[in-house]
Amino acid sequence: MRLKDTLVALAMTGAGLGYLGMIAGLPVRDGVDATTVPTILAWMMIGLGLIELAGALRRPGEPGEKGVGNMVTVALTLALIAGYVAALRPLGFPIATAIYLFLQFLVLTPRDGGRPFARYAGLAVMAAGVIFATFRYGFDLLLPAGPLVAWLN
Amino acid sequence: MFDLLLQGFGNVFSLQIFMLITVGVAVGIVFGAVPGLTAVMAIALCLPMTYGLGPAAGISLLIALFVGATSGGLISAILLKIPGTPSSIATTFDGGPMMEKGEGAKALGVGIVFSFIGTIISIGALMFIAPTLARVALSFGPHEYFAIAVFSLTLIATLSSGSMAKGIFAGVLGFAVSTVGIAPVDATARFTFGQVELNAGFNILTVLVGMFAVAEIIKVAETARNPLAGSTKAAMVRIKGFGFSMAEFLGQIPNALRSAFLGVSIGILPGIGAGTSNIISYIVAKKRSKTPEQFGKGTIEGVVASETANNAGIGGAMIPLLTLGIPGDAVTAILLGGLMIHGIQPGPMLFLTQGPLVYTIFAALIVSAFMMLLLEFWGLRIFIRLLAIPKHILLPVILVLCAVGAFGLASRVFDIWTILGFGVLGYAFVKAGIPTAPFIIGFILGPMAETSFRRGLQLSRGDYMGFVTNPIAGTFLALAVISIAWQLWGEWRNARRPAAAGSLRLGGEE
Repeated sequence: MRLKDTLVALAMTGAGLGYLGMIAGLPVRDGVDATTVPTILAWMMIGLGLIELAGALRRPGEPGEKGVGNMVTVALTLALIAGYVAALRPLGFPIATAIYLFLQFLVLTPRDGGRPFARYAGLAVMAAGVIFATFRYGFDLLLPAGPLVAWLN
Repeated sequence: MFDLLLQGFGNVFSLQIFMLITVGVAVGIVFGAVPGLTAVMAIALCLPMTYGLGPAAGISLLIALFVGATSGGLISAILLKIPGTPSSIATTFDGGPMMEKGEGAKALGVGIVFSFIGTIISIGALMFIAPTLARVALSFGPHEYFAIAVFSLTLIATLSSGSMAKGIFAGVLGFAVSTVGIAPVDATARFTFGQVELNAGFNILTVLVGMFAVAEIIKVAETARNPLAGSTKAAMVRIKGFGFSMAEFLGQIPNALRSAFLGVSIGILPGIGAGTSNIISYIVAKKRSKTPEQFGKGTIEGVVASETANNAGIGGAMIPLLTLGIPGDAVTAILLGGLMIHGIQPGPMLFLTQGPLVYTIFAALIVSAFMMLLLEFWGLRIFIRLLAIPKHILLPVILVLCAVGAFGLASRVFDIWTILGFGVLGYAFVKAGIPTAPFIIGFILGPMAETSFRRGLQLSRGDYMGFVTNPIAGTFLALAVISIAWQLWGEWRNARRPAAAGSLRLGGEE
């Protein structure tokens, strides 16, 4: 039995069951209605999950299965992106983007490389400014300006 | 016809239109190259700029953006292994590995030249066979469209590596995600949880950017801090010409012609555009190749198939647009809006009432194709220099551009949350070994399949046999069954001979 494959198969089956559960909340009419195709899809997902589960249980486990990579960096990156999206309205695009870029550069910098804080800060501010100016003034895209609204719009 | 075409060239070679085409192709290439920025966005953002221009100038600019953006997707597909547009998904399969082998310049050169060839062939098809082919497509009803969608979805099984169940699951899940929003036919709100933003479902751009670009950024984050992992290979052999030999070019002509034929044929069918044709051409090229085992490991055959087919979709998609007023995909849908803004109503009468303008459009397409070849050739060295930018600097900037692209769709932060959500799903796919491309195909074809299924049943008064007894629909459904059976047979044979099992890796699965 391969643990990873078994977990994936269970997730596939679970996704089908979850989808089927959501379909139960939809209004039902006679004949073919808005639930027909989703129901077929849900049962297909459950069936495919079970086929995959049967295969995973049959296959012998591999002793040298891949371990996890640097999940701390992944978690930090996800948190930074989520924080960035949440900060877009209150802080505005230029400020939120500059802060996000600076922090993301730091998080992704390889361990053997130095961390040139001043260069990263300059790059982050410049990139945020160029992107904002290009889309705001070049393409008339009203990106959120936040506290800088009086100066930028 | 040739008089009208000459007249069209006369219009296009006016200084204003020629400059607009040059700028349009350059901007289009950039939009196509940057993941998250697409041809749709390029045209949508530049559409207001055409208000003050005449119809010929305005439409020429939009067409130049279309041609540039369709081809530009190959740049990020090869350099970053992130398809800039859906039409270059299959380019990543071999372009990426070629890049990793140090043959990035060659992959770019092949992609550029065969993009040009695909575009020119498709323009020829558009000019000479458009009316006849469009009439055939017009005769298709919901039964035929449902069968074509089912057939295309079953090709997912062929796309999958390792487990066919995972491949089909990805396609079914993509289909399921496309059911979010108002249902076709009876307008029931499904899976919206009271969120107004979900009434129209998920936008294809947010799904694509999330599953490919954001997922790639998260994936890179996993290894970015390892020593020497943060930058891509900057060293590359010197480029001579386009980076490939004349013998290699001539050897790819049959592949290119076949892919162009597929690109035009698939592009002409509304709803199935370059996003599907590049993948189908890739599969066909692999099946017909003398060295199928090289596919997915970095062969120019794969790049040629994908890039010829996706650019051949330009002319293909323009056929129903100009002759019937039916947009073949999202890009031609927005082009239709652009034509109507300038008082042009596409349809069968367009060729009779505004012949000179139609041939100006053809001329603009041809000039844009040549401009694309020149600009990408001169820009090739600049694109390669992009490699020197470390990934830990480049990818966060790309994420910001993805966020801008998502926000630009409807000025909603909700769409940026959506790309993050799909990014996490795409990353989970990578970790679980589930291919991403079938998910995208399921998402694109899902609404068409469901709508056609329900309308088809209405037409045949609830009789399911209507799908089988219709000759065209029945043929496609039979092909779908044969496709699944063929794949099952292949899996069974490979299971008996595990060493001989060849794999096709898609969507960055591990």
